[in-house]
Amino acid sequence: MILTNIETVPGKTIVKHLGLVNGNTVRAKHAGKDLLAGLKNIVGGELKAYTELLQESRDEATQRMIEQANAVGANAVVNVRYSTSSVSAGAAELFAYGTAVVVE
Amino acid sequence: MNGYENPDIPEGINVTQEHPLKEFGQLVIGVTALIIILALAFSELGAYAARHLTLEQEVALAHRMLPAMWTETAAEPAEQAERKHLQELADRLARHMAIPAAMPVTVHYSAEPVVNAMATLGGHIVVYQGLLDATKDSETALAMVMAHELAHIKLRHPATAMGRGFAVALLLSTFAGLGDNVMQGWANSVGTLTALRYSREQEAAADSLALETVYREYGTVKGAEIFFEHASAEDNGLTPPAILSTHPSHEERIRKIQNFAAKESGAE
Amino acid sequence: MYDLIVFLTLIALGYGFGQHAERKHFRSILEREKELKTLLCFSERRIPEQEVPVQGQLVSGSVVISIDYFKQFVAGLRNLFGGRVTAYESLLERARREAILRMKEQARDLGADSVWNVRLETAAISQGAQRQQVGSMEVMAYGTALIRKT
Repeated sequence: MILTNIETVPGKTIVKHLGLVNGNTVRAKHAGKDLLAGLKNIVGGELKAYTELLQESRDEATQRMIEQANAVGANAVVNVRYSTSSVSAGAAELFAYGTAVVVE
Repeated sequence: MNGYENPDIPEGINVTQEHPLKEFGQLVIGVTALIIILALAFSELGAYAARHLTLEQEVALAHRMLPAMWTETAAEPAEQAERKHLQELADRLARHMAIPAAMPVTVHYSAEPVVNAMATLGGHIVVYQGLLDATKDSETALAMVMAHELAHIKLRHPATAMGRGFAVALLLSTFAGLGDNVMQGWANSVGTLTALRYSREQEAAADSLALETVYREYGTVKGAEIFFEHASAEDNGLTPPAILSTHPSHEERIRKIQNFAAKESGAE
Repeated sequence: MYDLIVFLTLIALGYGFGQHAERKHFRSILEREKELKTLLCFSERRIPEQEVPVQGQLVSGSVVISIDYFKQFVAGLRNLFGGRVTAYESLLERARREAILRMKEQARDLGADSVWNVRLETAAISQGAQRQQVGSMEVMAYGTALIRKT
């Protein structure tokens, strides 16, 4: 599966456009990490646990989007967009969407 | 527009197919177990710390914490006399219990119609007029309640309960930073339930010691159950289940007194 | 004691009504998606050459959806252990498909056959006053509808 966030797939021609596909996941971080992050907030700096968690979740959202693209018979997704929003204190939604296409 | 179409995307890719009640069950059991274990551990820690409080420290603490009305002597002569009478009863019963001299027992009288008495930090006991009215036919009944409160003091229950209370409150306040308010409510309820368990244990222990004391003082425990019978009649059978109560049920306490009486008369 | 009864009642009500509403909503979504199947959606900006004269028009659809008491409770517990919050996944899936449907309905009413450069936005609303309170989510879908000039 080729993913791009531009309109085309460089070096290939799009022969078929299959419409919107998307993937989402909502994840919560566990309370221990919340406490550590709270402490880290005092001194600032990267919250490694959160970076990892969000990255993992984003990978899952991407994976689900790819699954949808596979299901409609596409071999690439163009114009991929990501969006992240906080659903409640401690839980975030990761969302990916794009247009499934067939390239040659 | 050749080559442009929107095929059907199969269902269920973005939604986890798991029954919501299954997750609910797993989470409730997990969280409840976690809170119970932590609450029990913190309870024990609090009780351990409280036991290291010396009697003198406890008396001094009570002096600072308790409302001023209890430390003042009652103003009216009638109340004074009532208080003196109750103090004498307490002193007589206390002789059988070997309450340390460092923890002087002070009885206070309150004119409120509450059918109850209570023991608190530093050897203070409050007896309400309502209790005196309910037990006016039998001195043994009043003595049973008084001995029960004395037993709390002897066994240092107020201090232990305070230590447990502080420790569990500390634990629950850390939960307050997590999750939703619903979740906090749940944590509080479960934490309180573990506290009730200890409360029932303390009441049962105080009842046992009180029965022995009353027997030693009067040679019989006849009439000791009057207070509980009175309280039981007042409830009209509308009592919450045992797990949600601070005290053992009235029926259980009456049964215990009857068993004790039967045993003693059998021994004679 | 009474707190517990109130709590269990709310949980039961939340579960009963929430699950019922969710199933009903998904049925309605599937039905309307079938109805609007001929109206195509793409997230690409480049519109292919058209044989007939066309004009573009911005269309949008949005929905604010709230979580039920049962899901809120489950999500709250989940926060303690971490992991996938399945309660929210179905909620957001519903909201998103509803928003796209509303956008498509608007496009259909304008006489369009396709929507281009579709964008989706999700925002948590009514969360400001009380940080702990789980509020509601807004999902918005927008794009350019292509309308044939007649």
